[in-house]
Amino acid sequence: MMMMMNGEATEEAELFLNCTDMSVLERQRAHLNYHHHPGFFSNSSTVNGGEIDGFLASAGLDLPGIYGDTTVYSDARLSVSPGNVTTESGNFKKRKFDCVDTETKVCNEKKKMMINREVAVDEEEEEKSKITEQSSKSIMKMKNKTKKEQNSFSNDSSKVTKDSLRTDYIHVRARRGQATDSHSIAERARREKISERMKFLQDLVPGCDKITGKAGMLDEIINYVQSLQRQVEFLSMKLATVSPRLDFNIDDIFAKEVVSAPMTNLPNTVMPPHMMVNSGYPHDMVNSGYVHFNPMQQVVTSSDPLSCFNNGQSATMWDSDVQNLYSSLGV
Amino acid sequence: MERQIINKKKRVFSVEPNKIPPSEVFTRKYTSHLVPALKKLNMNKNSSQVNQLTVKHEVDMALALSAQEFAWSRFLLQKLSSSNNPTTATSSSSNGIRIQERSGKEGGGDEDGEIEEKLRELQKLLPGGEEMNVEEMLSEIGTYIKCLELQTIALKSMVQDTT
Repeated sequence: MMMMMNGEATEEAELFLNCTDMSVLERQRAHLNYHHHPGFFSNSSTVNGGEIDGFLASAGLDLPGIYGDTTVYSDARLSVSPGNVTTESGNFKKRKFDCVDTETKVCNEKKKMMINREVAVDEEEEEKSKITEQSSKSIMKMKNKTKKEQNSFSNDSSKVTKDSLRTDYIHVRARRGQATDSHSIAERARREKISERMKFLQDLVPGCDKITGKAGMLDEIINYVQSLQRQVEFLSMKLATVSPRLDFNIDDIFAKEVVSAPMTNLPNTVMPPHMMVNSGYPHDMVNSGYVHFNPMQQVVTSSDPLSCFNNGQSATMWDSDVQNLYSSLGV
Repeated sequence: MERQIINKKKRVFSVEPNKIPPSEVFTRKYTSHLVPALKKLNMNKNSSQVNQLTVKHEVDMALALSAQEFAWSRFLLQKLSSSNNPTTATSSSSNGIRIQERSGKEGGGDEDGEIEEKLRELQKLLPGGEEMNVEEMLSEIGTYIKCLELQTIALKSMVQDTT
């Protein structure tokens, strides 16, 4: 096996045996060498050829196993995207973002530790960073996340220093050409979070997918929220004028709203056209709203759903209707 | 009309009968809060007209009560309970302190300032938005939008029901 390796690999094997402070890459290679003999050779060749992707991607898969971490965790974390979160309630969203927050904090703290003491690793970093400059920044970020999650899982003290070394290393590589102090890194993490949430909002607000750029999207969102609030105001006004005359039948209300919802293009259907024009709505909204308004009026519901609602089977009955509701609202 | 009834009967059984989507949960909560409140209003007022502001108050109250898992509902409840005059979420005028701090750190083109402006405006729209930092606010805005949409559906159907 030793014969098969090239000179560099031999050095690394020695390094692995001799020094505890090692660069990430060398350690990864050594580990791979240790665990996956056939695989190592091809991996090292790709590294030497300057392509990190295949190497570190496989390393990313293997390392959790090596450190005895649960792969499930990191995979799950990686795969959670704003899209997946939409169907849950607000609590779930908070939890997901909290997790990312704590991870960033952990990494930032470790980073500060590392900045204060790091000397020996610099040479190795320089060497490796030449290779890594060729790889794209997005891949680095992905690996950042992987490493961050691995950091939060490993509690062993020796592993912690190695991990923080690794964290430090990854951070430096990713931030070539930009400031590497913890301040701007935290800032960058914050901005990433913000753009993540902006993307989620983009899915939520109708008509936002065509717009690129934060400012335009924010405009759209502001307009949308304002129009929703105005609608609510108008509806409550209407309700105020209407309510004294009639008593509310809650079952009918529920039946109607669920049945009629799939047919509506929501924000446009509420006001009668003349009211909308007066309150300054754009003209095309008024017209489209009116067109949609009619079919809704023609929907007549019977009181048959009433019994189902009372029996508690309503969940099943309304399931598909509410699914339509969901989809029509773009969630 | 009959076809709809027949269609509904066909769809009685679903694969996961116990799973209720959050939108439905919210809508049910909302109507169950608002309708009794309005009935009470009607009964209390008797001959005198139902005040528009009080209806708005009840509407907002029902919204806040039905969405208690979100931060903005707490702030909305506070606002409602503190003042008898119901205010909409847009009335607050205080600045977003956290946003100002961040804008100082930004690279500082016009574009960034614009975005900060807009984020500040968005914060004003959300009840309690100014007390949150930007990331929180953005996720809360998402839930707020969702709940507003559901609220409009509910109100719409109520109005329809009574006209």
